[in-house]
Amino acid sequence: MWDELQFASALIVSGLSIGLMYSLIALGFVLVYKATDAINFAQGEFVMLAGFVAALMLAPKMPVLVAIGAAVAVMVAFSFALERIVLRPLIGRPIIAVIMATIGLGAMLRGLPPITVGGETRAVSLNIGDMPIGFGSISLPPVQILGVIVTLAFFGLFTWFFLRSRMGIAMRAVADNQQVAMAMGINVERYFALAWAMAGTVSALGGVIWGSMLGVDVHLALVGLKVFPVVILGGLDSVAGAVIGGLIVGVVESLAAGYIDPYVGGGTKDFAPYVLMIITLMFKPYGIFGTHRVERV
Amino acid sequence: MSKLKLWLGAAAAVALLALPGGNPSAQEKELVFGLHCDRTGATQTVGVFLCPGYHDYISLVNSKGGVEGYKIRVVEIDNEYKVPPAMEAHERFKMEGAVLTGLYGTPQTAALTKKLEEDKVLGTSPGFGTAAAADGRRFPYLFPIAASYWSQAAGSVAFVKKELGGNLNGKKIAYLYYDNPAGKEPLVIFEDLAKSEGFELRTFAVPAPGIEMGAQVLDITGRFKPDFVITHLFGRSPSVSIKELKGKGYPLSKVISFVWGASEADVKAAGGFELANGYNTIQFAGVGTDFPVIKDINEMFAAQGKAAPSQQEISVFYNRGVVIAALHVEAARNAVKAKGGARPTPEEVKRGMESIKGFTLGGLVPPMELTPEDHEGGGWVQVWTVKDGKLTKNGDWFQAYREVIRKHLAAETK
Amino acid sequence: MLQRESGVYKTSYAADMALFPLPIARWTMAAIVLLFAVVLPLSLHEYYLSIINLALIAVVGALGLNMLVGYTGQISVGHAAFMSVGAYTAANLAVKFDLPFWITLPAGGLMAALIGAIVGIPSLRIKGLYLAIATLAAQLIIEWVINHTPAISGGAQASIQVPRPTLWGHELKTQGQLYFFLLFFAALAILAALNLARSRIGRAFVAIRDQDIAAEIIGIDIYRYKLLSFAISSFYAGVCGVLYTYYLGIANYEQFQIGVSIDYLAMIIIGGLGSVLGSVLGAAFVTMLPIVIRLVMEPLAGLFFSAGELSSVVASTRLVVFGALIISFLVVEPEGLNRLWRNIRNYFRVWPFSY
Repeated sequence: MWDELQFASALIVSGLSIGLMYSLIALGFVLVYKATDAINFAQGEFVMLAGFVAALMLAPKMPVLVAIGAAVAVMVAFSFALERIVLRPLIGRPIIAVIMATIGLGAMLRGLPPITVGGETRAVSLNIGDMPIGFGSISLPPVQILGVIVTLAFFGLFTWFFLRSRMGIAMRAVADNQQVAMAMGINVERYFALAWAMAGTVSALGGVIWGSMLGVDVHLALVGLKVFPVVILGGLDSVAGAVIGGLIVGVVESLAAGYIDPYVGGGTKDFAPYVLMIITLMFKPYGIFGTHRVERV
Repeated sequence: MSKLKLWLGAAAAVALLALPGGNPSAQEKELVFGLHCDRTGATQTVGVFLCPGYHDYISLVNSKGGVEGYKIRVVEIDNEYKVPPAMEAHERFKMEGAVLTGLYGTPQTAALTKKLEEDKVLGTSPGFGTAAAADGRRFPYLFPIAASYWSQAAGSVAFVKKELGGNLNGKKIAYLYYDNPAGKEPLVIFEDLAKSEGFELRTFAVPAPGIEMGAQVLDITGRFKPDFVITHLFGRSPSVSIKELKGKGYPLSKVISFVWGASEADVKAAGGFELANGYNTIQFAGVGTDFPVIKDINEMFAAQGKAAPSQQEISVFYNRGVVIAALHVEAARNAVKAKGGARPTPEEVKRGMESIKGFTLGGLVPPMELTPEDHEGGGWVQVWTVKDGKLTKNGDWFQAYREVIRKHLAAETK
Repeated sequence: MLQRESGVYKTSYAADMALFPLPIARWTMAAIVLLFAVVLPLSLHEYYLSIINLALIAVVGALGLNMLVGYTGQISVGHAAFMSVGAYTAANLAVKFDLPFWITLPAGGLMAALIGAIVGIPSLRIKGLYLAIATLAAQLIIEWVINHTPAISGGAQASIQVPRPTLWGHELKTQGQLYFFLLFFAALAILAALNLARSRIGRAFVAIRDQDIAAEIIGIDIYRYKLLSFAISSFYAGVCGVLYTYYLGIANYEQFQIGVSIDYLAMIIIGGLGSVLGSVLGAAFVTMLPIVIRLVMEPLAGLFFSAGELSSVVASTRLVVFGALIISFLVVEPEGLNRLWRNIRNYFRVWPFSY
């Protein structure tokens, strides 16, 4: 009995922490969608790119903070460029055009490493040790604890930003109605760029942390797949939704693997969150925290 | 309309460039090998090391005058781990007059099985495709030429038995696998052996993409508490399994991995050789650069003023490429010899492949014997263990539980 | 298609909707039929036919996806899963009951249509990207069910070997023979799509795409038509899966994973949403572009690299070029190949006296 209880709580703790790691990736997606209505299917590749930058900086024994700084700088610059060159011409086009453009971008990014820096797997060592911290079977590797802290910090920062800061309120105005925002004297283009820069920063840290967990190669882009159930469950345009969605997905995955898998022959972990997501959507079609769009004829 | 003119111009330029510049003339003294590879798709982290190994060995053979006077030309096509490009590649190889092809990828192998048979060109699928392909009567043109997942399962259980003191009765073994057909294939062998050897087996599936398995590892270390863990994972998931098992305090010396979780890359991504000390891996080709043929390749490059290929860093995959190339070359050599130096047909090369025996390349290749019935070559494996900062050989080539595997092969044929 | 008219003389809706707006269009059509049915198979090497074969199969799948995404406006990223439903249905029928392709092919399509309609149910409440991700869930669940149900998948390997299609006792197995087999079904699919698009159903789809609330107000039963759209689209996908099965001689779900759905989305977006011609051009373009890029690059790069390096350079550059082409295409011509084709036609309509 005690064993079972300990096992269940270990599962939940592991699920919560991995869920917050998913949220870290999802935050970048949500920020861009919230401000610019653009859907980024290359979020995983963003994370991969940041991971590569960090790994390349760490290879000649640069300090960890310099590597993180470089990753942030590159990602912000890259996001700016992407917004200007690719996404701005697509404003007003059907969302599927943006989806396809980001899918094409993803293909490009996945093709680049083998010809530029080589296809091998690189390690991102953050010098925070590998041995888990905790007691008994309820323990977490240091990198996951770092991931949890970073995600919660971003969550706090963005919540404050959108609720209290002048820029954040302006960005909400832009997201709500671009034309009215423009009429009120808000420089919409600048806020688009700012949103992408914020997303770039989040992706950079996501790349460093996930890269340190998995090692950096093209497989790192697979974390992008985990974004979808998280953002849909929480609501596409909600920062809180990304965090809560991540927690739910993480716990559901963990419990499915621990308690459903033994009875059905395994592998339910991957789609259990999706099933939950569909059921939720039947009741709340815009996710738990998503904005309900009122349509007019 | 300038935009339109631009498009038209671009289209015309592409059309001009794309016009086939005449078929590559099939020279008198040349044999063409077709090689499928994945350098940009789901399994590129294997392909970018394996395929260069293949090319380097062929260059070595060519630099020494080729096979019985025939130079070898390799046509490689990157199939991105997708099926339609694999079909296109097969037709291209046929057009170029390839005498044999090297397959890459399990879905691609499945999709081409029938076509190979109809076109009477052999395809090798080491580490890919179904274990049943070992039966040369049922799949005449498919050659696994390496231990199938069944043989790897048998080999891993034999290794576990040795490690646990020669008796598995009452022991507990966990099987942690990727939840796809390849991952599930060895289950029948494990279940059989669990009955005959008397150990308790429990299976833990990791669904794609397998970048996270905290719950499964908790289940293994917290609830099942096995005496040994056998893993069969792909992509980035082997390194995750190493990290998670180590993190939960499970000794890695009680873990053995199948061939696709067995490379230096997996160990490095998991945090390095220090961390992964004791991790056991199953191999169907030798590991490391300490083989005469690898030295020959490096000497060839040195003579050209080039450094040794950087891909040798991941010697597990690089050497597999060398082994595949070497077996291809031997098949062609046997065929040319059997024909007294004349140019062999693909069918004759197939018979050449079926007469490979006692070809070990200084220990790099297992002592396999290919026959018209057995296209696997006996299911030889070797265990290499992470020790002293590298993969070190842990015992010689061995086969295990052949009668069990033969029984299942016979059942499949029915 | 190729003809030029001197002005607009249409006086009735029927004339406006006609498949052949001018008598000469029939001649154009006859020429195209002649080209595909006689000239190409007689003049091309088997290798080039095999590429066309892959494009023909893709045409069927792309038409179906365009019906759902382009005409009805419901985004789906689970198209490949319906292909595997069709493939396994046909393979099981062909192997267990020994049925010929002209029964298994529609059966595979119908089974996919049924599953597709079920997957479409959330579309009654969910829209846009939310719906897209719900179809992604369908993809994962269908894959899991096939992978874990030996009765469907035929065992641990999840692949079923299927005999080649036979016609009057002849086994179709060379690329040339399979070309006619696939050409027939691709042509049928194009014809059906053209006619469906200009029927009451097609117009209802377009009304729902433009705005579903408005469509409901003018009396369109949007639930019925949304489900119908999912069913028709999945029927095409199922048939596409069956064609793959017969073409390759095997049904295997690993051939129909999420990446394939993305490829088909690329086809219809590059080709042009809501256009039959666009689906055909897009399918051909996406199937052949990587091959053309490679054929162009091999001789060029061969001048600078050795054989071993060449493969590596060509492979990654091709992926980058492919991604860059998709992006530049969307930025420069977001409405796809279909629009490009119309622009070319309009340009030549008054050529050489452009104003």
